[in-house]
Amino acid sequence: MPHGAASSSATTGLVAAASAAAGMTAAGTAAADRPLLRVEDLKVYFPVKAGMLIERHVGDVRAVDGISLTLTRGETLGLVGESGCGKSTTGRAIVRLYDATSGRILFDGVDVAPLKGDALKRMRRRMQMIFQDPYSSLDPRQTAAGTVSEPLEIHGIGSPGERRGRVRELLSLVGLNPDYGERYPHEFSGGQRQRIGVARALALEPDLIVADEPISALDVSIQAQIINLLERLQDRLGLTYLFIAHDLSVVRHISDRIAVMYLGRIVEVASSRELNTAPLHPYTVALLSAIPIPDPKVESRRRRIILKGDVPSPVSPPSGCRFHTRCWLRERLGNPERCVTEDPVLRTMGLKHEVACHFAEETPGATPSAVLPA
Amino acid sequence: MTLLAVDDLVVRFRTRDGTIHAVNGVSFELEEGERLGLVGESGCGKSVTNLAIMRLLPKPAGHLEGGRVVFEGVDLAKVSESDIRDIRGKDIAMIFQDPMTSLNPVLTIGEQMVETIQAHRKVSNSAARARAVELLSMVGIPKPEARLGDFPHQFSGGMRQRVMIAIALALEPKLLIADEPTTALDVTIQAQVLDLLRNLTTEHGTALILITHDLGVVAGMTQRINVMYAGFIVETAATADLFESPSHPYTVGLLHSIPRIDAPPGEELVPIEGRPPDMRHAPAGCPFAPRCAWRLDVCWSENPPLRAIDPTARVVSTGAASTHQVACHNPPTREEREAGRPLGDRYHPAPPPSGALDELSMARVGASAGEPDGAIGETADVWPESSSVSASPSAGGLPIDPTDR
Repeated sequence: MPHGAASSSATTGLVAAASAAAGMTAAGTAAADRPLLRVEDLKVYFPVKAGMLIERHVGDVRAVDGISLTLTRGETLGLVGESGCGKSTTGRAIVRLYDATSGRILFDGVDVAPLKGDALKRMRRRMQMIFQDPYSSLDPRQTAAGTVSEPLEIHGIGSPGERRGRVRELLSLVGLNPDYGERYPHEFSGGQRQRIGVARALALEPDLIVADEPISALDVSIQAQIINLLERLQDRLGLTYLFIAHDLSVVRHISDRIAVMYLGRIVEVASSRELNTAPLHPYTVALLSAIPIPDPKVESRRRRIILKGDVPSPVSPPSGCRFHTRCWLRERLGNPERCVTEDPVLRTMGLKHEVACHFAEETPGATPSAVLPA
Repeated sequence: MTLLAVDDLVVRFRTRDGTIHAVNGVSFELEEGERLGLVGESGCGKSVTNLAIMRLLPKPAGHLEGGRVVFEGVDLAKVSESDIRDIRGKDIAMIFQDPMTSLNPVLTIGEQMVETIQAHRKVSNSAARARAVELLSMVGIPKPEARLGDFPHQFSGGMRQRVMIAIALALEPKLLIADEPTTALDVTIQAQVLDLLRNLTTEHGTALILITHDLGVVAGMTQRINVMYAGFIVETAATADLFESPSHPYTVGLLHSIPRIDAPPGEELVPIEGRPPDMRHAPAGCPFAPRCAWRLDVCWSENPPLRAIDPTARVVSTGAASTHQVACHNPPTREEREAGRPLGDRYHPAPPPSGALDELSMARVGASAGEPDGAIGETADVWPESSSVSASPSAGGLPIDPTDR
């Protein structure tokens, strides 16, 4: 197939040129130790309005309420928490799908929060997003090739012929038959659609990929395919991931470090391993103990911490520590007043292990058997 | 005593796209008070099986084409419409995944609970209300009296599911069917609801059929598990046995597809390749063959029946001592179960009878080329990831950049 051969060599050139450029910028910044992304005191509020004709601002949903995090190049940071904790809002604010209410989002040293127009468009080339639902995140009237090619067109990369070659290359990179580029989303299964979403995110050769629950809409047997694909792509392309999910076992599997969110705040950050073996925040401990383990022997031996009640409303979060209304540790310690009056800040305990709890020293996290049988 | 016997159940859906072979001869029994898990992916027929038990198959597409459902000695297919209505709710209750769509949004919780109770029992309004308060406090809803006047939207997801459980248990049914009861809930709320379900069913001696895709959920909740695939039960065993020695390649695959929170670091996931089956076609051979790395030639032509792993064993079909049965021509060995893939010389998935190479067969090319992770591609219409197959002619002339690796 002469056409295939020709486009193949053409795209190799295109990609080579692009990666050379990427190499140059990396060398040019000469800051290998500078984090790729640094988020400082990010707040994202959504106004709550009342009134039929004249809208009044009656409050805010404080979806993200002052979080800071860093991502170094090539690492995967997992962002985990229950629905409504602000993890997706954080991800969307970072790629500027939502506007930050305040705070800084430093991407490679540049604050992207105030960027507009062309400057924002240039920045977006370097950060892309993978969405949860491969059914609603693909345009049903656009072919797979059209979807993957669109970012290239928007950013004016390559000639139409080069773009076609690049699309074929991207499709086979994510494990799809490049000849199926002319098919429409409904002709693909859920796992295949998610692969199309991944190919689209990779089209512009981004540095950072924000993956928001990328596997939770997929069948169990397909989930591992996508996890393995993301891991392999990271190894080959040196990608940095912000991996957002509610499922701590999946997050732990794929992440180097994990940040746990509760009600708009980060309550604990640690290496994947440490978070699992020695969790310090009582919420993390409860989260870990709530995850069912597919092994009846282990299940029968586990001590489960069942949290009471539901997550409070982010419109009026509890005073002091936001977790105090459900905290089992506070109850065990005789309900100290400090949890109600004083908002705990993230402090470092041990090696690069941060926790926002006044009484983290009292958490039986140092004894992992309390949560997970060794 | 046997509470429920499902015998060779066959359900088809007639749709414009053709006939969906939803359930293809499912048989199982349930003792009084027994907790059974029904595990499988979306479309495997686990929910349809239970709709068929309750005679709630969507009309006009759904047809019970064969088999019997015997509940307490009564063939449910033969009873009148009014009798089955009486059995539903009173003897067999059901809770669904999404409590928002199973509760009526324009009626208060109290009205719905009183309605349910009075539909089956001749009791006064005040007695029914008192029972409703009792039920709500039983499922852990604070201030139950005050909350009777609230509408479903005033409850959180976890609370709504508690209300559903309260309604389902209102008439002390003998059997509770819970269809993905915690899938829509957060993990800490899931733990609350599962805890509640476990305690209540044990306390009242209610038999439970728990339908879920989550092997972790059934591990701690059930005594026995049926694994379903493509409308067949492919493996059945006491819960401990199933996890101790999973014997169907699909079960092995499921267990290796999900990361475990207690796994050692660096745990490797072994995905099940390919895609879920197209239920519009009745499979000729084993329904799992197109995705199975253990398949033999016979798997393409002959669907293996469910049979005891130990052929000398007397088959016990209920309870924690039930016989481990599997429908497979070539079950994985112990070492392979642990690895999640065929080992050594056994890694030769038989090609489809058409003679065409599908990706599992093609994966041999990758494997023999020394691909360390043994990555294998997807089924017929999906391409092996370009890293996993060398650019050999048998891989279909992939335009792979040789420097790409």
